[in-house]
Amino acid sequence: MFLLNFKLKYLIAILPLILTQVIFTKSYSQENKEDLNIVLVSKFGEEHILKDTWYITETKDSIQISKIKFYLTDFKIGSKRGKGQSINNSNHLIDVFDKNTLNIVLPNVDISTCNEVLFNIGVEEEMNTSGALSGDLDPSKGMYWSWQSGYINFKFEGKSPSCETRKNKFQFHIGGYQKPFTTTRPITILAKSIKDNTLTIILDFSKIFKSINLNSTNQVIIPGKEAFDLAEILPTLFSVDD
Amino acid sequence: MTKIVKHSISLACLFLCCGFVIIKNKELLFDYPEYWPKPNYNFSKLSMTEDEFQLGRHLFYDPILSKDNTISCASCHLQATGFTHVDHDLSHGIEGRIGTRNSLSIMNLAWNSSFMWDGGVNHLEVQALAPISSANEMDESLEHVVEKLKASKKYNSLFYKVHNDSLITGQKTLLALTQFVVMLNSYNSKYDKYIRKEVGGEFTEQEKNGLNIFRNNCASCHKEPLFNSNDFKNNGLAVDATLNDYGRMMITKNTNDSLKFKVPTLRNIQFTQPYMHDGRFETIQEVITHYTSGIQHSKTLAKELENPLALTHKEKVDLLVFLRTLTDKEFLFNKRFSYPKDQ
Repeated sequence: MFLLNFKLKYLIAILPLILTQVIFTKSYSQENKEDLNIVLVSKFGEEHILKDTWYITETKDSIQISKIKFYLTDFKIGSKRGKGQSINNSNHLIDVFDKNTLNIVLPNVDISTCNEVLFNIGVEEEMNTSGALSGDLDPSKGMYWSWQSGYINFKFEGKSPSCETRKNKFQFHIGGYQKPFTTTRPITILAKSIKDNTLTIILDFSKIFKSINLNSTNQVIIPGKEAFDLAEILPTLFSVDD
Repeated sequence: MTKIVKHSISLACLFLCCGFVIIKNKELLFDYPEYWPKPNYNFSKLSMTEDEFQLGRHLFYDPILSKDNTISCASCHLQATGFTHVDHDLSHGIEGRIGTRNSLSIMNLAWNSSFMWDGGVNHLEVQALAPISSANEMDESLEHVVEKLKASKKYNSLFYKVHNDSLITGQKTLLALTQFVVMLNSYNSKYDKYIRKEVGGEFTEQEKNGLNIFRNNCASCHKEPLFNSNDFKNNGLAVDATLNDYGRMMITKNTNDSLKFKVPTLRNIQFTQPYMHDGRFETIQEVITHYTSGIQHSKTLAKELENPLALTHKEKVDLLVFLRTLTDKEFLFNKRFSYPKDQ
């Protein structure tokens, strides 16, 4: 009886402490969790990118772009305080010519402790082998191969007189999750670029044409070595203003 | 007194409601013999309800999935012939367009780890995308199929029954088709009854002899009890120069996979002619003759076939007689799997 009384008294004594701690931690963590806005700005060199408009590449090819669609997935917030934070269901299909897709909101982010933002260009292997998924990963979005299962991570289409193809078209459908030709690429952006809860990412599509010769490389529409090589270029498109 | 009456009425209502909920969401049982291996398919995304099964059944038999609304899944996958296309070496699609392969039969799919002759499809839920979007088959897009379904009163109501909302998506369409085809299981052939020592499973001496011949010569690839394997093998067929189909290699880009194709199931083989990926053999006799005297040697030939099968005429006949015991009429004529009557 004495022992029980003692335990009870002890418990009553520390209860307010525990409660304060819980309330404090909860309010502290809630206060610091905000929306992080990611804004994508698409360019071709110094110019804002427009559909079906003539541009000149660095290698002096004239080109028009008719479609740019790609996946940004699996967003994670790196933290100064150790363990980072994965944002659930953060899989986004971006259509450069549909402005509704160019703002991504990551909810409940502890921006004060964030030191980096990580995500993938493309869809990870696990989601490529998980059957029919929903939302932006729904196979009806036109970014899923049917004859060989898997997502098209990055679609880039247009035309150029340099392409000796039907209607001078070029088509890059970059995808494939199987080794050795995996095409998903990770991106890390330092948090110092976040201003007013907004991270502005610049995508410069002119950089694609620095490394390829449109005369010889103009149709890559299956997984394999060529798709792998093109995927290597993709991270170079992403930058932030210092 | 009034209190008791009130309580009784509310209790009766409660039971009635529960009853309706149970009837509405009647659960499907995925049933298979206990001695079979566990299925590969992960059922977590399916509702496993009668409503989703019926929705999938309607979709399977509806030409709405094809570009010109002329061809349904059942056009190439007929129930009475083991859900495959007979009388054509290469299956055909809309406008009489001819494909490049013989349609596979559909049964016991939950045990497959990949789909299509070349294994290009990695998951049952996305298999239907291949025929829907293939130019020589349905030549349609899932996006457009969803639009057509959204415009259909019948499908709005069928999808609503399953999901309690009327938003039709590509994922829900594919899952419904999966819910139907994954239930197409065949395990009641004479062979199955023989294994289970059930009435109707009494083997003749010839059938027993045929089973032994099968086990000694064929079962290393066509493994019991499913009579297939999830491997890809080069079974010594000469390349058809009009098709130049190298099978698995076209998916993996690995030359070690040249001329390899899925090892298909032999269940219901009596009715699934023609045989092989390009439908080159019309009869089972031709298939057996290929394995005894038609093997073409090449680098990737299955090691099981390095020496041809040595069978006497009588052994060939016994083997053939055994293969007929794999016919499962309960499956081939099961009304639950047939063309649905409109609701």
